Amino acid sequence: MSFLQDYAYYIGAFGLVFIGLLIVLVQHNLIKVIIGVSIFDTGINLFLIAVGYIRNGTAPIFSRAGLEPGAMVDPVPQALVLTSIVIGVAVLALALGIAVRLYREYGTLDLRKIRELRW
Amino acid sequence: MVNPVLLLAVPLGLAFCVPLFGMASRRAASFVPAIAALFNVVVAIRLLPEAIEEPIVVCLGGFSAPFSIVLFAGPLGLLLAALVALAGFVIAIYAVRYIDTGAITKYHTLYVLLLVGATGVVLTGDIFNLFVFFEILCISSYALVAYLGDRGGLEASAKYLIQGAVGSGLLLLGIGMVYGLTGTLNMAGIAERIGAVPSVPALVSLALIVVGLGVEAAIFPLNAWLPDAHSSAPSTISAILSGIAIEVGLYAVARMVFTVFGATDMLFFLVFLGVLTVLVGELCALAQSNIKRMLAYSSIGQIGLILFAVSLASSEAVAGGLFQLISHTLSKVVLFLAVGYMILRSGSKEISSLEGMGQQMPLTSLAFAVAAFSLVGLPPFAGFPSKFMIVRAAVAEQEVIFLVLVAVVLVATVIEGAYFFRVVQSLYFKRGEKQAVRQEAPSSALIPIFVVVVLIIVFGFYPDAVVRVLEPAASDLVRSTDYIRSVLG
Repeated sequence: MSFLQDYAYYIGAFGLVFIGLLIVLVQHNLIKVIIGVSIFDTGINLFLIAVGYIRNGTAPIFSRAGLEPGAMVDPVPQALVLTSIVIGVAVLALALGIAVRLYREYGTLDLRKIRELRW
Repeated sequence: MVNPVLLLAVPLGLAFCVPLFGMASRRAASFVPAIAALFNVVVAIRLLPEAIEEPIVVCLGGFSAPFSIVLFAGPLGLLLAALVALAGFVIAIYAVRYIDTGAITKYHTLYVLLLVGATGVVLTGDIFNLFVFFEILCISSYALVAYLGDRGGLEASAKYLIQGAVGSGLLLLGIGMVYGLTGTLNMAGIAERIGAVPSVPALVSLALIVVGLGVEAAIFPLNAWLPDAHSSAPSTISAILSGIAIEVGLYAVARMVFTVFGATDMLFFLVFLGVLTVLVGELCALAQSNIKRMLAYSSIGQIGLILFAVSLASSEAVAGGLFQLISHTLSKVVLFLAVGYMILRSGSKEISSLEGMGQQMPLTSLAFAVAAFSLVGLPPFAGFPSKFMIVRAAVAEQEVIFLVLVAVVLVATVIEGAYFFRVVQSLYFKRGEKQAVRQEAPSSALIPIFVVVVLIIVFGFYPDAVVRVLEPAASDLVRSTDYIRSVLG
């Protein structure tokens, strides 16, 4: 039980990462692939938060008296996740924009049918 | 002394001014990238002698080293920043006339952002900052690949975006792990502490980072996006992606493996991957009938060669690899830019349609031939001393396995010669169907192309001019203790 308590966040995070990767690899619909990338990103963000998380921890604001360093959540990963979410949104928006244009050109989002470029 | 921060701040500021200039006049907007890049060329080259004496370390925000984001302007960083700016400048001048349809101001904004991303990656000393600059580089290149808005461009951009997004996700996962293991994001700090970390988690995080960066660096087998993206983008973008973006990715891989992780036991694996990448790239290039796809596959081959050289890890081999990187950038910029107007004139990307271009566009064809010969490694062009340095360094290892690998690389060079000579032959020695009318590319394209051609010839005759900078640059990469000392004191 304690194993699950200690590692629940990591299991959840890597679960999302693998689900996302699986969707990217097996789906043929471009929108579903983009959803997969989004789930993949979410898993990574959760992992980053879990790296710095302390159970029952609080924000590292030193104005409160008697706050131990051990009881504070590491703020760096949270700053990283904030940046990473913004980047993720930008990639998602661009991907959806390209999907719209692809649909107008080809009339389908099926990646098996969008195959002009061959080697 | 000029602050190296300006190498990032000035172009970034100018990038967002492009739409403002565009409101006044579309023509004014198209000169902004050239101004930004020219500024960077001047500043980077002025700082280079100082950085060779002593690397310039700038702590942003006024905090001391491990707590702030650090810019590390060492000889290697500034050399690559100068190369990025030089290629960026040349291509920006060419683009003033070449890019004349579509959302021109958006093109120039994204183009400057791409240069900022590439410059940031080579200058930063913070691993998360590297990720952010890498994303700036990637996102602007995804959009620029689709700039023409045709079927091929959109499809290539979608493929590139999906693979790039997964790659940068893996990179971020690796960065998170490293942070969890060492408690710092500063590259020097990580390098200092990574020895005390259990080896399996360290290896897993390094593997994630190398795979993540390897997608952008087009290391086999992570390069499926490259031929599509490089061949479908506008020629200016093909040139910048092939000349700058993949090299920057490769720099990041080398920086991680050598300086940050000090993973010398992984090097043989990378040597092997490099040779495999050379073979795959050159063999696929030989089979192409589309000129831009051929050049794209040739980029893969060249990246493999650079990876092979850098992973040999002796200081001469690393210097040779960096020289090859420079000569590849110069040649590929010329090749893609020359091909840009050839395709425009002939209306087709097929190699067979370029027949007789030697009469139709003599100067452009001449530039193409010089760059192709340099890439193959013929004297007296820049590609000869670089390839010679790599081969000499590999033979100096005095192990049978390296001799075999060098033989494989030389065979790949012969293949490279075969397909480039085929194109040069059809440029000059085959008659096209139609009567050859002299129809040269405009001087706004010829002048930037010939600036680079002159550089290729100068570096071929006086390789010492480059080698003098390459030796400190190579030791900057390989000696991680010096790196730690100069950042953390």
